[in-house]
Amino acid sequence: MRSQITLNQYARGHMVGTRHTASPLRDEAEKALARGYEVVLDFAGVEATQSFVDELVGGLILRHGPDILSRLIFRACSDDVRAIIEFVAADRCDQYLKAHSH
Amino acid sequence: MPKTITLPPYLSARSADDTVAVCGLLLEGGGAVLVDASRLKFADPFGLAMLGATFQMLRDVERTVQVCGLGAAAAGYLGRMDVFEGVERVDCGPPANQRHNRGDSLVELTRLDTPQEVDQAAYRLAHALVGHLPGIDPDEPPDEMSGYTTFDRLVEPIQYALSELLENALTHARGHGFAHASVWVASQHYPSSGIIRLGVVDNGCGILASLRGHPELKHERHLEAILAALQPRVSCNRDLRLNLESVNQGVGLTTTCRIAEHAGGRLVIVSGDARHDTAGKSGELAGHAYWQGTAIALECRRVGLPDIRYRELLPAYEGQYRPGLRFE
Ligand SMILES: Nc1ncnc2c1ncn2[C@@H]1O[C@H](COP(=O)(O)OP(=O)(O)O)[C@@H](O)[C@H]1O
Ligand SMILES: [Mg+2]
Repeated sequence: MRSQITLNQYARGHMVGTRHTASPLRDEAEKALARGYEVVLDFAGVEATQSFVDELVGGLILRHGPDILSRLIFRACSDDVRAIIEFVAADRCDQYLKAHSH
Repeated sequence: MPKTITLPPYLSARSADDTVAVCGLLLEGGGAVLVDASRLKFADPFGLAMLGATFQMLRDVERTVQVCGLGAAAAGYLGRMDVFEGVERVDCGPPANQRHNRGDSLVELTRLDTPQEVDQAAYRLAHALVGHLPGIDPDEPPDEMSGYTTFDRLVEPIQYALSELLENALTHARGHGFAHASVWVASQHYPSSGIIRLGVVDNGCGILASLRGHPELKHERHLEAILAALQPRVSCNRDLRLNLESVNQGVGLTTTCRIAEHAGGRLVIVSGDARHDTAGKSGELAGHAYWQGTAIALECRRVGLPDIRYRELLPAYEGQYRPGLRFE
């Protein structure tokens, strides 16, 4: 089962920017994940800052580990958003694994 | 008798030392101040945000501010920017009322007090700045491939930079006993040179206080802290073990600086007793000038903005791990 967060709803113009906006969305994603859902993050029509993506996706990785990524689906990302997600995910997985390796 | 402080000829990022010094003089001591503006020739958004922040901090402690000697042009300009809210003008030229009619996209000084305001303000300010650029039509049909208009392409990098800088100022700057810090922002486009300037000034704890104890910081110096903050992955708060509520990644300022540089520009960052110009001189501010907080000037070329691609600005990933990601 899937639960979806449509980011366009939270955009100003075409952009989601602050950690402040991202953090309640991360809570929402966490609740859905806890109930066993996969979570679709729908980026259609939006650009995002690295801080926004980190608060949302990086935060989930740091709390739940890299495996959480198998239950997240990134939909309709622009090339820039995709690159930011890839960067944030790799950086935070790396950090998580280093912190949990000893 | 109020004490008299004379403004220097330039209140600008290029004259950051003089600008910080005079704001320091204004804030020093107590009682009423008379600001002599007769030598003032030019102010940019950095200078305006500094002066506006200073005037407001004086008013917050109920010190009276009077300004004298302003020429008509400067009076009109500073008036349009709302720098003089609550400041009494004596013996000044008549302010020329010419808001929004010279194509120089001047966006009035804005103060923010809470992180909740940042998204809307970053959008509104970027929109207002670009909306006044000559030759830009917000209603042009979007590009079929990307769905974006030229207008969007200009707005976004500015909105991105403002979002990062303003959120920094209303989160990090409010630590270490500065919970009531605010941030002031001003912006302007200069049609003859095609340059866009932003000034973002906070009166918070400063970068050194925020990063104190960070392993990248070898010496407790303001300049070193500014340079560290610009490095990717340097943050006061990157590690979940330090803070269960929220963590930062330390890439916001790095990316903002790269936006400016890719658009042919620079950042000038002042914090404490130091100034770092990413395309010029760095060092301690002259004459023991000191800013309690962080003041940032961003300069870039309008023509460079539509070509900004954030994917090219991200720091290199040096780790081993390549997580599998599900894109649809
Ligand atoms: N306005 C500011 N006031 C105080 N400290 C700041 C300010 N801006 C940035 N910093 C410091 O610089 C660090 C790096 O900033 P940034 O690159 O935006 O990363 P992040 O916000 O993810 O930590 C921050 O963690 C903070 O310690
Ligand atoms: Mg930041």
